[in-house]
Amino acid sequence: MDSNSFMHFVEYELQAIALSWMVIIYTIKAVQLSKLPMPWEKEKPKGSGTKGILRSYGSIFMPWSVESSRDNIGRWIGFSLYHIGCLVAIVNTFTYTFTPEIMTPVVKIVFSALIAPAIFIGFAKLYRRLNRPELRHISTPDDYFALLSLQLFFFTGIMALLLDTIFWRSSYYLITAAFLFYVPFSKISHYIYFFFARFLTGKRYGWRGIIPQK
Amino acid sequence: METKEKVYQELDKRYNRLVGTSATNLCTHCGWCIESCHIFKATGNPDHSPVAKAEKVRRVLKRKHDWLSHLFPKWTGAKDLMDGDLDEWVEAAFKNCTLCERCVINCPMGVETPQLLGTARGVLTAMGKSPEILNQLTDAAIAREENMEMMEPFFRKQIANLEKQVQEKMGDSNARIPLSEEADILYVPLSGAHTMIPAAMIFNAAKANWTMSLYEASNYGLFVADIPKAKRIVKRLIKEAEKVKAKTLVVTECGHAYSVLKWEAPKWFGKQFDFEVKSLLEVMDDYIQKGKLDLDPSKNSELVTYHDPCNMGRKGGIFEEPRNVIQASSKEYKEMKPSKVENFCCGGGAGLVACSEWTEDRLLYGSVKVEQIKNTKAKKVVTACDNCLHQIKELGETNDLNISVSNVSEHLANALVFSKS
Repeated sequence: MDSNSFMHFVEYELQAIALSWMVIIYTIKAVQLSKLPMPWEKEKPKGSGTKGILRSYGSIFMPWSVESSRDNIGRWIGFSLYHIGCLVAIVNTFTYTFTPEIMTPVVKIVFSALIAPAIFIGFAKLYRRLNRPELRHISTPDDYFALLSLQLFFFTGIMALLLDTIFWRSSYYLITAAFLFYVPFSKISHYIYFFFARFLTGKRYGWRGIIPQK
Repeated sequence: METKEKVYQELDKRYNRLVGTSATNLCTHCGWCIESCHIFKATGNPDHSPVAKAEKVRRVLKRKHDWLSHLFPKWTGAKDLMDGDLDEWVEAAFKNCTLCERCVINCPMGVETPQLLGTARGVLTAMGKSPEILNQLTDAAIAREENMEMMEPFFRKQIANLEKQVQEKMGDSNARIPLSEEADILYVPLSGAHTMIPAAMIFNAAKANWTMSLYEASNYGLFVADIPKAKRIVKRLIKEAEKVKAKTLVVTECGHAYSVLKWEAPKWFGKQFDFEVKSLLEVMDDYIQKGKLDLDPSKNSELVTYHDPCNMGRKGGIFEEPRNVIQASSKEYKEMKPSKVENFCCGGGAGLVACSEWTEDRLLYGSVKVEQIKNTKAKKVVTACDNCLHQIKELGETNDLNISVSNVSEHLANALVFSKS
């Protein structure tokens, strides 16, 4: 396989296979979860389940509304920048391949600038996990691997954006594909469960008139 | 081997969408919940953080339900049930967690740690390992119903004595404590006179069409997560409400009893009840808003603060009503910080107050509450839950807080003004 064919394979076919794999696994998991019995509220609502759900989803964007973010605003800022970096890095896997025309030098620099903080925050998170006894106590190999592998994903993404060599592009795409195969099984898949959990918790708290607080 | 199989069977029975969501990869081990827990804040023990407690159950569940954990358990920390695990679960679920849900509201993901530990409670009860006293209290409630024919005359005599006390306090010989008679309101107390006399005074002063239940509201079946027994305890109240043709069942100031009757029991029975369920707090607030009670707030002259019971507030949705009642019947009121949905547990919830083998731990777990009370400089703490009442009283005594503690209805009854006619 020559380098052009190899690049085409990792940019297109491999990504398509990996993405399809991820979607299939997520779908199976979502269906499995949906089939589990659910003890829905039966009593007349005191508040609004819908408002509770909206508040539940929205609370992560409103750090003042929850003590754990309000009292640790630096941690929330780090969390936000990290996830912005993740989002941009994921978007980049699509735009870089399928809409290269929008990936002008300015856009590449902006993407890199949004992903870069995530690398520094990732190291800070690693330090925190190793340094705090309460976090060390519950951490597993998957936790450390998730952090480190994301660092690699961010780094190769930035290098591919800025240098755009065959080595960095192929590294970036190979790591992305590896992620797409692995992520549905790891704790990184928390973002799928997030939508289920916040819906269920928000609905219950909203129904009972607990949130949003009057 | 048989024990482990039974545990897995019991876990399977309880594996629903709430448990399943929180038992898999939802938790990222971020640690945002750690500082929200009054028990971790009191002890600083890494094993007492919400995430550590949840992991004890989660890792066993993941071994079965999570694919990666099934194939590579060491990678995700998943594990098979080992000897000694159930004893750890007893500590985590019954001693080191009051199911207060403070971790849930602080979790960025919405992990329901109390659901996992509640599942553990149910499994432990099925395995005969839950605290004996909690099972005894559950069975005592069932025994009361089974022996009501024998107990009723004795109970009626006791209530007649309490009725006399109500009449003396009110200066009204017509004041009554009707027992299980036809009425719009069926009031369900606890076994203590402090949940009967003040409520009776308030109902009589408001000229309510009410009657008192032969049973008490407490339902320890919830604490041991024995739903069949919990349902049985609720059922006697449903029968009584039907018998007296009550439109409203009013639950006394008991956090878990309100939570059970208002929110949990309809789920267990699969339907709303034919009567409305309200807390006494809501009824008292309603009476005050409608001007049905004459009050003299100066009778409660000391600085008062309110402790939000977790089952009333964060899990039950009642925040403003007790505050309205207290402020209407007090000279001076100060809010605890934090309060309402963010209030800290007193440390005695979910049956911990009844477990004498863990008294020392329980009082340590109340350290955060002690600081909250001190910071208000209040001389009186009012709360709306009997377990909180007992816990805060003990915290007051052991920490020389020099406070008095009462429930909301006692506090309100103290401010009642009775007309001479």
